[in-house]
Amino acid sequence: MRSRLKGTIQPTSRETRHAVASYPSARKAQQDHDNFDTNSPGLWAKPLAKPVCARFLHCMNKRATVVEITDLHKSYAQLEVLKGINLSAAVGEVVTLIGSSGSGKSTLLRCINMLEVPERGSVRIAGEEIRLVGNAHGRRPADEGQIRRIRSELGMVFQQFNLWSHLSILDNVMEAPLVVQKRNRAEVREEAMAMLGKVGIADKADRYPSQLSGGQQQRAAIARALCINPKVMLFDEPTSALDPELEQEVVQVIQLLAEEGRTMVLVTHDMNLARTISSKVVFLHKGLIEEDGTSDEVFGATKSARLRQFLAAAGH
Amino acid sequence: MLDLLPEPLKAWLGPDVTFWLGYFTNGKHIAFFVSVHYTVLAALLGAACALVFGLMGAALWTSRNPWLRWPGAVYVNMVRGVPDVLFFLFFPLAFEQAMEWMRASAVCTPEAAAERAGQWPPCPDANIFFSTYEYLALACVSLGIVYGAFAANVIAGAMRSVPRGQLEAARAFGLSARQVLWRVHLPQMWIYALPGLSNVWMLIIKATSLLSLLQIADIVQLANRLGAPNFSRSAGLVHGDWRWGYYLVLLVFYIGLTFVSERVFAALTRRASRGMAIEGAAR
Ligand SMILES: Nc1ncnc2c1ncn2[C@@H]1O[C@H](COP(=O)(O)OP(=O)(O)OP(=O)(O)O)[C@@H](O)[C@H]1O
Ligand SMILES: [Mg+2]
Repeated sequence: MRSRLKGTIQPTSRETRHAVASYPSARKAQQDHDNFDTNSPGLWAKPLAKPVCARFLHCMNKRATVVEITDLHKSYAQLEVLKGINLSAAVGEVVTLIGSSGSGKSTLLRCINMLEVPERGSVRIAGEEIRLVGNAHGRRPADEGQIRRIRSELGMVFQQFNLWSHLSILDNVMEAPLVVQKRNRAEVREEAMAMLGKVGIADKADRYPSQLSGGQQQRAAIARALCINPKVMLFDEPTSALDPELEQEVVQVIQLLAEEGRTMVLVTHDMNLARTISSKVVFLHKGLIEEDGTSDEVFGATKSARLRQFLAAAGH
Repeated sequence: MLDLLPEPLKAWLGPDVTFWLGYFTNGKHIAFFVSVHYTVLAALLGAACALVFGLMGAALWTSRNPWLRWPGAVYVNMVRGVPDVLFFLFFPLAFEQAMEWMRASAVCTPEAAAERAGQWPPCPDANIFFSTYEYLALACVSLGIVYGAFAANVIAGAMRSVPRGQLEAARAFGLSARQVLWRVHLPQMWIYALPGLSNVWMLIIKATSLLSLLQIADIVQLANRLGAPNFSRSAGLVHGDWRWGYYLVLLVFYIGLTFVSERVFAALTRRASRGMAIEGAAR
């Protein structure tokens, strides 16, 4: 199954190959990609696992937990959207959230980086709890600095891409590493080009987002999220705003990242994608986890009647 | 002025041309030409003030804190309704009297004040006379306050037009509130604000014709004076009512200013719309 995915991202044209070749880092990424060995441990899992495990005892057994959500509740006015969610993602895991529209998938994802602040429950990133203050009526982050630091370790990809339209693609990718992580410009530039090469749009670095197709924009958004060296990638329906052909080029990038062993939390309506890349599938229904398990368990031996219904409706 | 020309050149030009050359370069006309700088300065500095007041007003008005939002709303909504002429008269006078009042409390002795009871200023020492340029500065601030309210309204609207998703993305990547404002929100705001701001700029240009209300001999007042029927004791009636001619010159001047402004705003719009997928904007 996995080997079939090998080498899926090919430069789209001779032009691209040329652009890729002219940047050493982009070329390196392309080679890494071409020589990718599915049996080797993830390229990115390795450097991540160490600092995480050095700090926390619970890392002793197997793999460290990168995202840990406990008893999460979130309401908008009267509407209770999340009613107590427990969820965790270990290093290198791909956790996929599925569920019908309005079931709270986006809200859950946005609670991970505190774009929405939950009324109850806690979120831990690499063992560090995000501190919140206030009562059930209005909680807010206790420490803006902590929030910003944690956010700079979470790469988010939005359904509507949300690239900054006044910046070129390269500047989009370089913005957070420069401004938030305060890294060296030359080094960031090199890495940004490598990331753009990885998603196959190194030749578009100087364009503005509005000059790219939807699929290219979403790949640029993925490069932007990759360039901060995130502990976790958060995807909110990354392919839903795209035509079927454009969808595939983004799906291929996401599959490549899964192959690399990146930790990801992914909201998607694409059941094929969910089935192939997930370490864990979580079915949300009306703000609660109705069923979860490995891809085979959830898709192969579905227990919940609601999930069966949902999968049938999704054409599965 | 005419004396500076060499005699042979004067002879070659003939008496008619020399007369008109002399007429248009006499002291009053030179003052008229020079006074253009009052108008241009008032427009530029007034616009700069309006932009500053506009940004501050919009920041207050769109603030989440009600203690800031209220003054912002009052400023934007009340000041836009006040006729600019009224404000032009009111603000410099109020400012002058406030200064005099402060100075009076420092310099006036009780005896001197008692002597002039019921008069303003309380004692002669407290009297303040502003120079033309100080009045010009006051005029610019007045323009800034009045048109800043319009600019604030335009800017607040433009701030709301920036796609929310892009601001959210900036927050999601760990930018602080200030970084989101300065690095994403404001740079993207301009393209939505420029059409409205160009209107405000045109209004400011027009409002500069009020400068004469503050004892500034600006182009409008001088055109009026120069064009009026002109008698001199030695020569009798020099010319009749030529005001239409002078007003025509002003008309052309303001049209020229408008034309230049349009060019500048077109260039600014091109600059601000780089990469922005907005209907009609150059890429
Ligand atoms: N800012 C908000 N204010 C009020 N209600 C909201 C807000 N955001 C989401 N909701 C509501 O919360 C519920 C869950 O929304 P959410 O976006 O999490 O659903 P979802 O599972 O992502 O759906 P979809 O598949 O359509 O994206 C919906 O009923 C929605 O109307
Ligand atoms: Mg959603």
